[in-house]
This record gives sequence, structure tokens and C-alpha cells, in this order.
Amino acid sequence: MALIELKDLNKTYNNGQPLHVLKGINLSIERGEFVSIMGASGSGKSTLLNILGILDNYDTGTYTLDGTLIKDLTERQSADYRNRMIGFVFQSFNLINFKTAVENVELPLYYQGVPRRRRHELAMEYLEKLGLTQWASHFPNEMSGGQKQRVAIARALITHPQIILADEPTGALDSKTSVEVMQLLKQLNKEEGITIIVVTHESGVANETDKIIHIKDGIIGQIEENAHHDAWGGPLMK
Amino acid sequence: MRIEIIHEIASSLRNNKLRTALTGFAVSWGIFLLIALLGAGNGLMNSFMGNMQEFISQSITVEGWRTSMPYQGYKEGRDIQLDQADLLYTKGPRWQGTIENVSLATDFTGTTLSLNGYSVAGSIRGVMPDYQEQEKIRMSSGRFLNRDDIREKRKSIVVSSAQAKELLPKNPEKLVGKWVNVGNIAYRVVGIYSTDESNMTRLCAIPYSTYKGIYSPNDKIEAISFTVKGPETLEEHRAFEKEYTGGLKARHHIAPDDNRGLWVDNGYTNNLEMHKAARMIRTALWILGILTLVSGIVGVSNIMLITVKERTHEFGIRKAIGAKPGAILKLIIAESISITAVFGYIGMFMGMVACQIMDKTVAQDAINIGGQEIRMLVNPNVGLDVALEATLLLIIAGTLAGAIPAWKAARVKPIEALRAD
Repeated sequence: MALIELKDLNKTYNNGQPLHVLKGINLSIERGEFVSIMGASGSGKSTLLNILGILDNYDTGTYTLDGTLIKDLTERQSADYRNRMIGFVFQSFNLINFKTAVENVELPLYYQGVPRRRRHELAMEYLEKLGLTQWASHFPNEMSGGQKQRVAIARALITHPQIILADEPTGALDSKTSVEVMQLLKQLNKEEGITIIVVTHESGVANETDKIIHIKDGIIGQIEENAHHDAWGGPLMK
Repeated sequence: MRIEIIHEIASSLRNNKLRTALTGFAVSWGIFLLIALLGAGNGLMNSFMGNMQEFISQSITVEGWRTSMPYQGYKEGRDIQLDQADLLYTKGPRWQGTIENVSLATDFTGTTLSLNGYSVAGSIRGVMPDYQEQEKIRMSSGRFLNRDDIREKRKSIVVSSAQAKELLPKNPEKLVGKWVNVGNIAYRVVGIYSTDESNMTRLCAIPYSTYKGIYSPNDKIEAISFTVKGPETLEEHRAFEKEYTGGLKARHHIAPDDNRGLWVDNGYTNNLEMHKAARMIRTALWILGILTLVSGIVGVSNIMLITVKERTHEFGIRKAIGAKPGAILKLIIAESISITAVFGYIGMFMGMVACQIMDKTVAQDAINIGGQEIRMLVNPNVGLDVALEATLLLIIAGTLAGAIPAWKAARVKPIEALRAD
């Protein structure tokens, strides 16, 4: 069974006028895949990502994550699933400003109840992996965009999630840093076998992934296999 | 886990210094007023009780009065005179074990004490030696009347220090042993009682037997005094008084519900009622203090609401990475309790300092009322019990102040929180 299974997923927003955002999404993503979801703004890609990340609920259909049906969960349950199964990487990093890099990375483990010393050790390990050891006690506003995003990736990785959901991970970065971050995600996918889903509207970013899922007007369009992008070795387009 | 919360609270408060200071001031002020009010109230009460203790004796005195109701064929307005039979009733087996230290007193008012051309007004009371204990009379020199005075019907007299001062202005203590004229009879002064804080400055005591022989040769008794053992509560004392006077009323044909036939001065019920009044004053002070504190709590609640609004995005991040609603709730309430507790303790400390200042200044001033030195405040302080109660109050207040904001923060959906700025 696939890691992620979406069957006839529908979502309507009811803010005054009903807005049918997702119109029957069917999608399956296997373990270890590196996938991008591409679409213009208003296509429903962000809504899809929020549902995949258990940040939002859906109306009809089913969403199964690693064999668990994700439906009608309480706030407690969804918080628990998010904590254990999903790592988030956001466009605006979403680090907590009054916490140092290492404290930010520790935070998911704090909510798991991991003892202070143990989670500090683990956080330092991940920061080292991402080459940020000397930045551990710095606050986010003392770091560059690329460094912040790497801290965010470390925070996403620390709980060994089933999937990493990256929402426009390069949206706030310059092109050079964007390449570095995408290389890092690619490396994590290849070397650690982590399933990564990137949501983007930039074809250059999507091109770095193995599979591009096009979404338009709430419906999955073309699914593009992109297995040989590495061979081209072309520079990342912005 | 605990350290983490303290750390988070500290950084959150550091980021908003002015806001924290203003809120903190409101709470500090509330607690300060509570403690200062209670301290001053305690001081006032100590003074009030201290002064009253001088008058209120732990005894019951019964005297005959004038009826206000017709009963059993007797008309109203009849003077009641106690006699030896009432004394026997009081000492009788019915009250064995309850009534103790029975003594008698009789009064002869409006006479003059004179010595070597000096004179002072006086009122003579014939008493038993137990009278000193019952009325808490303190001797400044000499002794009180004793058994020998009674048995031998001696012409001994105990005068007040105020009278001694009038009779022998240069050296009042030397009056002990001297003979003074009371009307046209000479009495030997055996002691002088202290009148520093008492208003009974005109009263002189002579042996009951002497009094009876000279001023009241028949069976009449002016007053019967005794102490009581057994009743503890106000209700029990009232019940005892009703039962005891019931017997006297029956003997003198006074209507059972006529309160004017006998004059009863019950030191026990007076004392208990005074304590009850003191408790009510204390309660009123607590209520005032707590109402003041409420404004502080509303302030904290207000600030926490703003804090929650400003930190919505942060809570969104926390929720996205796995914070359960309960964790957010706990964080806000802990922050609220921290603000209230820290600033509350500052206020409590200042309040106690204010109490100490009151003790050193106002409490040292005594005012003179009718020859008595009265200190407005005596030991104006709050005890450890009040400090503990106030601590508990602060924790409850902090929880209440944080409850609504915390609930709002815990309830907001992560997706909405992440969208907020």
C-alpha cells in the first residue's frame, strides 16, 4: 500500500459563497518518493498540502497516511499525528523568534515529552548534519534565509517523520540559496530515503523532483515522471 | 518541562517590558492595598480589643432593675431588689459545677472622700475579695480587700489611683495606710487600684460585710457576681443566662420575656459578641481588598488577551509541529500565574513594609480620651496565615485571569493561526 492514499477527496470552503476548492482528488504517493505539486495560485495546491499535513480537514473522500485513516480527528489526535508523522518546511521558515536555533529544533521533541538533555543532544546532532553547529545558540533574526530554512529542515527531521511537506521552501530565498536548499532536500531523499512533497508554483523547483503532479482548478491534471533530471544537471531556473 | 515553561515565560515578558510592568503594577497595587488594609484593620482591632478587655470581665453580674410589664397581678414599673434568697438560689445545688466564685456587691453612690482639706467624689461599693479577679482590677500599690476584712468587718477601703492623686497630690502612693474620711466615717486605705485604662475612676471598694452593716442593714443585695464554667459558645452562654435569670424572674414575679426586671451584665456574651464583630470587620476588609485586586486581575486578563492575539502565529507554529491544545492552555495560564504571583509578592512585601511603617508611626501615637490613653493601632500586622491565604488568592486570580485568553489560544485552528501575522 502506498504511503499516502487520497480517494475522491473533496473540500468546500463556506465563507459566504461556497467555494469548491478540491473536486475529487485521487492520488497515491509511495514511500521514498520525491514529489512536487505544481499549480497556479488558487489551484487548490495549498489546500491539498494543508489536508496532507493534517492542518485542515476535508469534506468527503478518504485520506490514508501510512495505513491510518486521517478523518474526523480531535485536535489532540491531529496534533499527535502531525508531531509523529509529518515534518513541515514553510516558505517563511516559521521559526520562533525568541528561541535560539537549537531550541527551535528541539521543540517537536518537547511536545513528545523527551527529556531536556536528550532532546538537546539530538537537536545538536541534526544541526551538525546541516552544518549549523556554530549557529546553534543564535536567534533566527541573526541568520540568513538559507540558514533559517536549514534550521527549519532540521526541526522537520528531528522526529523521523513519514513525510516532509515543504510549502514553497525556496519562495523567500535568492536563487543561489534556493539551489542549496533543493540540493539538501534531494540529498535527504536519496541518502535517507525520506518521502518529500514540495508544493510550488515555480517550474524550476518542481524540475528538481522525481515526479511533478500538476493541479488545476481543484483537479489533478498531468502527472509527469521526471526521473532523469539529475542527468541534465542544468542550473535551477528562477 | 517546567524549566522550558519558565524560560518561555521569561522571554515573553522580556519582549514586552512596559506592558508587563503596567500589568504588574495593577496586581501589586491590589495586593498592597489588601495587605495594608488587613494590617491596619488588625491594628485597629488589637487596639479596640485591648481597650475593651479592660472593661469586659469574665463574669456575670446581676442586679435588680425595674419591670416593664405587668405580671401575675403585679403592675409594671416595680423596682426589683435582690436579697439573700437570691444568693442562696445562685449558690444552690442547681448550679453546682456551673456557677463558681459567687460574690456580692452593693453600691452607695454620691459621697465624698476627704483628707487634710483635699476632697474627691467617690462611689462606695461593698464587695467580696473575688471581685478583684472578676473585674480584673490591677493594684498599683497596696493590696485588695481580703477575707479578714470581710470577717472582721474592717473599715478598709481600696481607692482609685485618680482619687489618690487628688487626695495626696505630692505622693499618691503614700496614701496606703492612711485614714480618709468617707462622708463622716473614717476608712483606712489598704490599696490603690490602677485606673490607667479604665473608666471606673470614682469607684471605691470596701468589704461587703462592712458595707452591709453601715449602709444596708437588711437582707438587700445590690448585685450578685459569679463566674461560669461549662458554656463555650455564644448560644450556650445565652441559653445559660436565660435559664439562670428565669429562676430569678420566677422568684420575683417578673414576666419571663421582660428584659428590664433584672439588669444582667454578661461578660462572656459581651466578649463573644465583640469577637464576632471583629470577625465581621475582618471579612469586610477582605472583601474590600479583594475587590481592589479584581481590577488588577482584569488588567492581567486584558494583557493576556492581547498577548494571545499577538502570539497567534507562534501558537500556529507550535500546533503545526505537534503542540496539543492542552499544552498551549498550560503555557498561557502558567504565564498569567507567573505575572500575578511575582508582582503579587512584590505588592505583598510592600504592604508588609507599609504595616511596619504604620507600626513605627501611627501606632506609637496615643490619644487621650477621658483620662485614658488610647492607641489607635496596636501591632498593625498580618500574620503568616494571611500571607498564605493571599498566595492562594493570587494563584486563583492568575488562573482566572489567564483562563479566557488561554482558552481562546487553545481553540484557534492551526491553519488560521499560521495565516495570522
